[in-house]
Amino acid sequence: MSHDQRQPAAELGLLDATMIGMGAMIGAGIFVLTGLAAEIAGPAAILVFALNGVVTAFTGLSYAELAASIPKSGGGYAFVREVFDDLASFVMGWMLWFAYMIAGTLYALGFAPNFLELLHVYGYVPPPDQVAAISLAAGVSVPPAVALAAVAVCLLVSVNAVSTAASGSLETVFTVVKVSILVVFVAFGLTSPMFVPGAEFQPLFGDGGPFAILPAMGLTFIAFEGYDLITTVTEEVENPRQNIPRAIFISLAATVVVYLAVVTVAIGTLGAGGLAEAGEAGIAAAATAFMPEFPVVGEGGAVIVFGAVFSTLTALNAVVIASSRVAFSMGREGQLLPRVGRIHHRFGTPFVAILASSVVMLVAVVLPTKSAGNMSSLFFLLSFVVVNGAVIRLRRERPDMTRPYEMPLYPLPPVIGILLNLVLTGVLVEYLVRTDPLALALSAGWIALGLVAYVFVVRGVSAPESGEAVPGAGDD
Amino acid sequence: MDLRVIVVGGGRVGFHATELLEAQGHRVVVVERDPARCEEIADAYVASVIEGDGTRPDVLRQADPERADAVVALTPDAGTNLGVCVLASRFNPEVWTVMRVATPAGAEGYAEVVDETIFPERAGARLAVNAVTEGAMRAVESLPGELEILEMRVTEASPMADRTLSEVSLPHGSLVVSAADGHRIASADTTLEPGRAYLVAAEPDVTDEVRQLFQG
Repeated sequence: MSHDQRQPAAELGLLDATMIGMGAMIGAGIFVLTGLAAEIAGPAAILVFALNGVVTAFTGLSYAELAASIPKSGGGYAFVREVFDDLASFVMGWMLWFAYMIAGTLYALGFAPNFLELLHVYGYVPPPDQVAAISLAAGVSVPPAVALAAVAVCLLVSVNAVSTAASGSLETVFTVVKVSILVVFVAFGLTSPMFVPGAEFQPLFGDGGPFAILPAMGLTFIAFEGYDLITTVTEEVENPRQNIPRAIFISLAATVVVYLAVVTVAIGTLGAGGLAEAGEAGIAAAATAFMPEFPVVGEGGAVIVFGAVFSTLTALNAVVIASSRVAFSMGREGQLLPRVGRIHHRFGTPFVAILASSVVMLVAVVLPTKSAGNMSSLFFLLSFVVVNGAVIRLRRERPDMTRPYEMPLYPLPPVIGILLNLVLTGVLVEYLVRTDPLALALSAGWIALGLVAYVFVVRGVSAPESGEAVPGAGDD
Repeated sequence: MDLRVIVVGGGRVGFHATELLEAQGHRVVVVERDPARCEEIADAYVASVIEGDGTRPDVLRQADPERADAVVALTPDAGTNLGVCVLASRFNPEVWTVMRVATPAGAEGYAEVVDETIFPERAGARLAVNAVTEGAMRAVESLPGELEILEMRVTEASPMADRTLSEVSLPHGSLVVSAADGHRIASADTTLEPGRAYLVAAEPDVTDEVRQLFQG
């Protein structure tokens, strides 16, 4: 038998941990959702991103406190599992798993039009809206964007299924590339003659009035998902009790700054209307409008489009890993089928967990991008409510626990966090009832499916547990 | 199966037990009385830490004994450890209790209240003995019962040097497990070469005899 050894996980410093958080946040959200936010809220899209940063900072405090005192890589699910009973922690894991999977769908759907745009810039294909549908053998035709999204999911799932995750330092390189591209975008945008902030930001609020920013916040909440991924690698971070809270706050603050700059430039140049028209490729469209010609790459907009393609792919990679880690942890805790919690004997990856996660991602690529964003945001909002609740419960039930990081002004942050997340959840649900009942029905369906799974797996496991141990259970 | 373990007493023994358990993927909560020590354990990031006296119900409850698989009481004081195990069993009758005793004598007397007693000083003593007799004989593993696995080196002076196992006769209660340097299971044809080490399982009352056979 060959005895190839896999590399152990590298030690991650503060920079690496910060980059993991920023890399997961700055990715798809800003490229894919800016156009959609402008469509709902008009120029106030800028407020949408700023306020979402504020809302999520409260949950950031909770994540920091939990991660510093519970030394367990595994993110939100692992913490909630420590604090709540079987049903509550199962529901949390089930929601978070779905949130990551559907975020994967969102990123794949964001990748596809940007990739077609990139091919178009270099003249390989006609403009994205004129590409003909791809005909499958059965005579069913699939829009090329959907097919591309599915291919992207399959590709990254296969890569992650047969090899262990890319190391933290690679993540740092990815993030630096992404941020640099956005800095280029902002720099050229600010100096472009098209940039007329005075005009484009009047009136600030679109047709929907000030309250239209609430559903837009709900939709784009997903853009701040990602700092929680820092807590899934805590055991690899050096001096974690200090570096993890810091990495969470720094990555959040830096991301807010980057987003505000990018959205300001996008609205200032293209206008909220033009941005809304471009939809998922909003930022790319803005860039194509004002970027100059570069040597080698040709049209300057191509750099930004490349940034969008690269960012959506790396973000997709991050959530493929994140979703499978949630499923894997649930499997190990006996909250999903035990085989989901096993490592593959050859590849050393949570193989079954990755494959199980890919199914939902693949099926969901037929949904509109907006529905995927809505559902993902909805489930992140709900799971963040639970994370804040976990902090309160842990403080009450384990007052004598050593807390290397204690949030200031307790209990205000988690209480405010719960209230704000619930307000956004309410607004989003109301918005979905009006505009996207399919997304709402699918979300409710997922919860219902979860309760059925809970009854069969968690409740059922205790009865035939002796039987379960028989077929080659081994001691893994 | 990942275990949930409560370690009471975060001193040297408790802390290293925690590190080993965590390294094996188990989930540990440490209960420790000394605040400064609690900070040190939290820094090591191997377990969550409850600060307080583990014999107090309101403290031990915070370590969640209802969901724990095992409670290991590792303070230097046997009375404290016994109290912890009894209390933990009241919270959760299913929990596996391990108690550190102060002296091996009479440890079996605890059997009706705790599942297992350990005397960590014996392991330390064995290491000290190994260090002294290094090169000739080393205890590899302590087994649940009396049996010991020893790594023994054949010396030039050994009566068995350069003979095969079929030619020699070891005492009843002993068995040569591995061939030279531990790569193969021993067979009748295995030659006992001087200077090489062999794994030997032995009952305590023949250990001495086996040692004499190997070392002359």
